[in-house]
Amino acid sequence: MTLTFDGPLDLARMRRERHARLVASMREDGIDALLLLGQANIAYATGLRVPASDQNLAIHRRPVALVTADGAVPHVWTWYPEGAPAELAPDHLHAGLSLEFDAGARTLASAVHDACPTGTLAVDELTMPLRAALTGRPVTDPSVCLGRAKLEKTPDELECIRRAQAINEAAIADVKAMVRPGVRGTELTGRFLERIFALGASANTVDPIWQAMPASIAEGPFSMTGDVVFPLCTTAEPFERGAVVWVDNGINYEGYGSDYGHTWIVGEAPDAVKRDQCARYRAVVDAVVEAIRPGVSARDLTRVAQQVEAGRRTPWLAHFYLAHGIGTDSAEPPFVGTDLGDDFDETVVLTPGNVLVLEPVIWDDGQSGFRAEDIVAVTDTGAEVLSNLEYSDYEG
Amino acid sequence: MPEHLGRTLSAMADAGIDALILGREGNARFVSGAERLALAGTRPFSPGCVIVRSTGRIHLMSITDAGIPADIGPDQLYSISWNPMTIAGNVAAIPGLAEVTTIGVDGMTPMMEAILTGILPDSTLVDGEAFLREVRRPKSAGDLDGIRRAVTAAEACLAATAAAVAPGITERALLGRFEATMGRLGITTPAFEAATCVAGTSPRSIVDDRELRKGDLVHLRGGVLVDGWEGRLTRTRAVDGATGPQQAAAERAATALGEAVAACRPGEVIAELRARPEVVDLAGVGLGHEELADDDALRPADVVFVEVLVDQVLLGDVVHVTESGPEILTTSPVDIT
Repeated sequence: MTLTFDGPLDLARMRRERHARLVASMREDGIDALLLLGQANIAYATGLRVPASDQNLAIHRRPVALVTADGAVPHVWTWYPEGAPAELAPDHLHAGLSLEFDAGARTLASAVHDACPTGTLAVDELTMPLRAALTGRPVTDPSVCLGRAKLEKTPDELECIRRAQAINEAAIADVKAMVRPGVRGTELTGRFLERIFALGASANTVDPIWQAMPASIAEGPFSMTGDVVFPLCTTAEPFERGAVVWVDNGINYEGYGSDYGHTWIVGEAPDAVKRDQCARYRAVVDAVVEAIRPGVSARDLTRVAQQVEAGRRTPWLAHFYLAHGIGTDSAEPPFVGTDLGDDFDETVVLTPGNVLVLEPVIWDDGQSGFRAEDIVAVTDTGAEVLSNLEYSDYEG
Repeated sequence: MPEHLGRTLSAMADAGIDALILGREGNARFVSGAERLALAGTRPFSPGCVIVRSTGRIHLMSITDAGIPADIGPDQLYSISWNPMTIAGNVAAIPGLAEVTTIGVDGMTPMMEAILTGILPDSTLVDGEAFLREVRRPKSAGDLDGIRRAVTAAEACLAATAAAVAPGITERALLGRFEATMGRLGITTPAFEAATCVAGTSPRSIVDDRELRKGDLVHLRGGVLVDGWEGRLTRTRAVDGATGPQQAAAERAATALGEAVAACRPGEVIAELRARPEVVDLAGVGLGHEELADDDALRPADVVFVEVLVDQVLLGDVVHVTESGPEILTTSPVDIT
């Protein structure tokens, strides 16, 4: 049965408020027209839904949105009219365009010209025929503009993330019951996908990960960075008793991502080493959550995490981060602890409505490690944890 | 040298393309054979795969060689980064790239164009997507084997979904049944989320929570990727027994599908096939969806998916175009009960 929720959610209000935020952000950057080809950006700007599909199909059946700084209703081109929000007037909803061919690209360039003949045009991504069709028209990059709008989630956006995560966690509870020696990751995926749709998920957006981890980095696959290799594609290899499995998956509810991460020990109770690793993960998360409030920088958070694990390896993966944002993108700003470095992290200052997926990693080379993910929203005074991870295996 | 890489390098020489910088996973997978994590939806351009013609070598953005074919060594990998300038530095360091003048790219962002122009100031960007669309198009015997395996898997998933069609089940639960079967078969990558939708005025691709009722027709359109290769099909089922008019529509739809398939011969113009009154989709099938241009004509070794709609009965098959006529790769029966 589909999960039911108590929290209020008004999708029309959410779309209205997001559009207003985006228009305000465009004005701040002097962008008159914003042409969007990226699916997650279009979902944010308009609420348009398209079916989840492999990138090859998604590219050729991509929607397009044109947002103008006058605050008018956006124009949308889509192959899937059933995914258009109710408030989109018929004269703003157009048939899908083939932007890999000149004819479609020229049609779009002409519509852009009609809507905004001379002003500043920003485009999130270009196909090569569209780039040719826009020759002579300078285009700017809207990453900053989009990032600013998306950074602070409205209460409706937060509720979507809460629901996405609740569906994800409920499906996981069923999957976890299947885990025993001999089970294959691919079987877990099948069960997981069946359950998320039964529970009301809108889509699945990433090949679910159930990766059996080595005891040491050297025993695992070749690592470019020298750090733990994660994630790897799921295989049909059966899990062995005692395997340390890192779980990572994201499902979507009304355009919003979720992010479930945990560490499962196959067929046996975690031993003292694994319980200690879990406790250290939780100590890092607890300290970071305790530190989260408006005005705190990303660098403050990495410092807190490093202090908890002082004298040990940095408690997150070198090629990822301590935390990333989540919204209509599965990973979006704010980023905390990336290879952009400490100076960059100093400039990232939390504000109410930011959402962070904390993903510390505890790794004791030779004894494998513990990784999970907790989702946290920044409130006016502190933090609210949106995820609800289960630790009973590791307690007692 | 792997067949796809050889084909690509030869076509690059013919087209005067010195290097390809690719952001699209289907293109990277075709050229390299690498399996990296599957993510649904569009992604902004990022240089995930580089091919330099003068060296004949592929370079991939990856933190590991797991999933990377053995002929691509660790020295041909470069790490991911959140810093665009680090990515630019990694790409700029690729042997032979500094000397190229014509680069095929399969997409762009304003920021990445500024970065690439900065590291490769003397080069010109051309349409690498259009270039690779042609290179990917003819299917070798090995390619066909991959597609056949995927079609067989998609048929098994769809059969299990069809078996679950009954009054009271929701469209979304049927989608779940398709994907559960996929997982049991050892596959985790749908080509698209199955469209298990009650028939209406026009076919939908996005499921909702509608419950199936006796007398409905339900469209079952599903696809999977097996080792990257796509298999897909569309069938229609009557919920709890077909009425006489539904049965008659099913027979007309089956005839229309047969005629559309029979028309898939070398020389037939894509736009004309798409303009046939019953045809609602005609697309290339390969490493996922492969696009065909309206003004192009079918050729031997094309593999296409053709779908027809007649009185709310939706049917679609995968067809191999050969010199001697169409070979249907889909074997599932087309009946609606």
